[in-house]
Amino acid sequence: MREVFIGRENLLKLIGRWAKDHRVYVPVTFPIMNREQTPDYELVTDEVPETLCLEGAALATNPKSFVFYPREVVAEYPSGEPEADVEAPPTVVVGPRGCDLRGLQKFDKVYWSTRHFTEEYDDPFFIEKRENLYIVSVDCTFAKETCFCTKVGGSPWPTDGFDVNLSPVDGGYVVTVGSEKGETLLSGNDDLLTEARPEQLEKREQRRRSVTEAIDRQNAEFFDAVQDSYDKLDLEGTKDAWAYVTQNCVACGACNRCCPSCTCFLLADQEAGGAYERTRNWDTCLSIGYARTGGGGNARPELPQRLEHRLRCKFEYSRDRYGLVTCTGCGRCIDVCMGRIDMREAMRHVLTTEKAEA
Amino acid sequence: MKNLYRPIESVIEDIKRETPNITTYRFRPKEPVTFEAGQFVELTVPGVGEAPFTPSSNPNVKDTLEITIMRVGKVTEALEQMKVGDTVGLRGPYGNGYNMKDFQGKEVLIVGGGVGLAPLRSLILALFDDIDKYKKISIRYGARSPEDIVYRDLLPEWEKKKNTEVLLTIDEPHAEWSGTVGVVTVLLDNLPLLTTVDVENLPFHADNAVACICGPPIMLKFVNMVLLQKGFAPSNIYLSMERNMSCGLGKCGHCMLGEYYICMDGPVMTAEQVSKFEDPF
Repeated sequence: MREVFIGRENLLKLIGRWAKDHRVYVPVTFPIMNREQTPDYELVTDEVPETLCLEGAALATNPKSFVFYPREVVAEYPSGEPEADVEAPPTVVVGPRGCDLRGLQKFDKVYWSTRHFTEEYDDPFFIEKRENLYIVSVDCTFAKETCFCTKVGGSPWPTDGFDVNLSPVDGGYVVTVGSEKGETLLSGNDDLLTEARPEQLEKREQRRRSVTEAIDRQNAEFFDAVQDSYDKLDLEGTKDAWAYVTQNCVACGACNRCCPSCTCFLLADQEAGGAYERTRNWDTCLSIGYARTGGGGNARPELPQRLEHRLRCKFEYSRDRYGLVTCTGCGRCIDVCMGRIDMREAMRHVLTTEKAEA
Repeated sequence: MKNLYRPIESVIEDIKRETPNITTYRFRPKEPVTFEAGQFVELTVPGVGEAPFTPSSNPNVKDTLEITIMRVGKVTEALEQMKVGDTVGLRGPYGNGYNMKDFQGKEVLIVGGGVGLAPLRSLILALFDDIDKYKKISIRYGARSPEDIVYRDLLPEWEKKKNTEVLLTIDEPHAEWSGTVGVVTVLLDNLPLLTTVDVENLPFHADNAVACICGPPIMLKFVNMVLLQKGFAPSNIYLSMERNMSCGLGKCGHCMLGEYYICMDGPVMTAEQVSKFEDPF
């Protein structure tokens, strides 16, 4: 992989050049009530904002929103065309972290080329946006207290799935090109790039090591059982343990919405201008209606069953279906939980409670 | 790229009332929607929503399809307001049907409960088309009461087919009913245990038989249990798994059972496939 260096001022210029023929989203900080907030994505419309912030850990906003909209019209009928009509302008997103990219792997499997899917099940609404998405990922420069990516097979820097990666070092960034799409982003911009010096690469390694150590340290007591054995983890028969961890859950579904690997949706039909339209909406497996069937049947009527489903989906079901453990350790579900449920503690409780005799 | 979510316009060609809350509709799609017995389609009532149904008509009939539907919720209630000539949407087929090649030379036991006989009717009609390939077709059907029995006019015809038997039961005693009473598992009482000595004269040979079950989850659970006791191999018991198949494309997640998506890996699954779950029903 090609590695170069770019200074901060030059990076702002480079982003400005991308913005001429791409939609570009960058993380910026903005003060609310005179306090600096954690950065969030903003569309570059004119000048590239000076408040561009590539420090820190994963952003609150999950980049899945760029390829899988919270709500999207997927069909119009009765007169809709057989071909899907998808608007997907070339889009550059600066800021996804390693955990976010691992979440996108699940999307690629589900919407693009899953197990024993034939091409006819490829999802046009996802694929068109995904193909036109340029990912400029960033190393984490520190860990939030809820980060645990190293415990689920990840790392606080992206290892694959990016087009360009930026590793913050003194005065600028080490730039790694990860794909042909990444090459096209950099081509013609040599005037902004210099060779990466050994001490810059060394600085990058040093930062990566220290963030990894911080994450390992803060998760020392959390579910090593998962880390050591998630290829053979089997939580069938743990039903009773889930009642305890679900005590504070109110089934709000915030964990689903902020999760980089939650791919599920709900289809809803309504009238629209004399015809009908079908929308695809983010859904949550914690809601009581999620698994409800006609006539009042429900595969998971109880909340503990639904939280069990959600977490086992991350560790077991996705592993068995797609070969991926899809909890990426981003910690967002812990950050947003109004019941203060820490899934690391939930997993630990379930793993250390003896299984009911089958 | 093809739009997977678009419903295909289909005209209601015929409506036949089966019971007070069950109706059979015949649809003629404007683009072909063909299926194998056991596969399902998504039916759209315009502006109201979509729900999954397994057709009840013969899969060898290609230009129309019939679906027998019980009124239970939003979509089915709206469908009941529609008339012959009205347009609905269909897309599919989705999922796996019955592995009928595997049925050849075997006895086929079909156990239905309530409106669960509807998807099985599609299988039964497909079996009748090649009736010589199967040793026996035994249909056992339980309904709540005499007036809840679907396909009342067809059942006597089925009984007349070669090597075919039809056994009925209703859940509770009824003034107009002189037949068997009890939930559908009572119709399995005469299935012998494999350990019976007089193998020659058995009414059914579980070691060379397949069973296809469709009905409410509680019925699936108990019929499956009884058949396993009677010596059926789990790989020979086909269950119609009931889940909320919302997209049909293995994406929306609503029909998940462990790592299975019922819309992709089902809706017909063998007892062997689901045996690892504590309670798959």
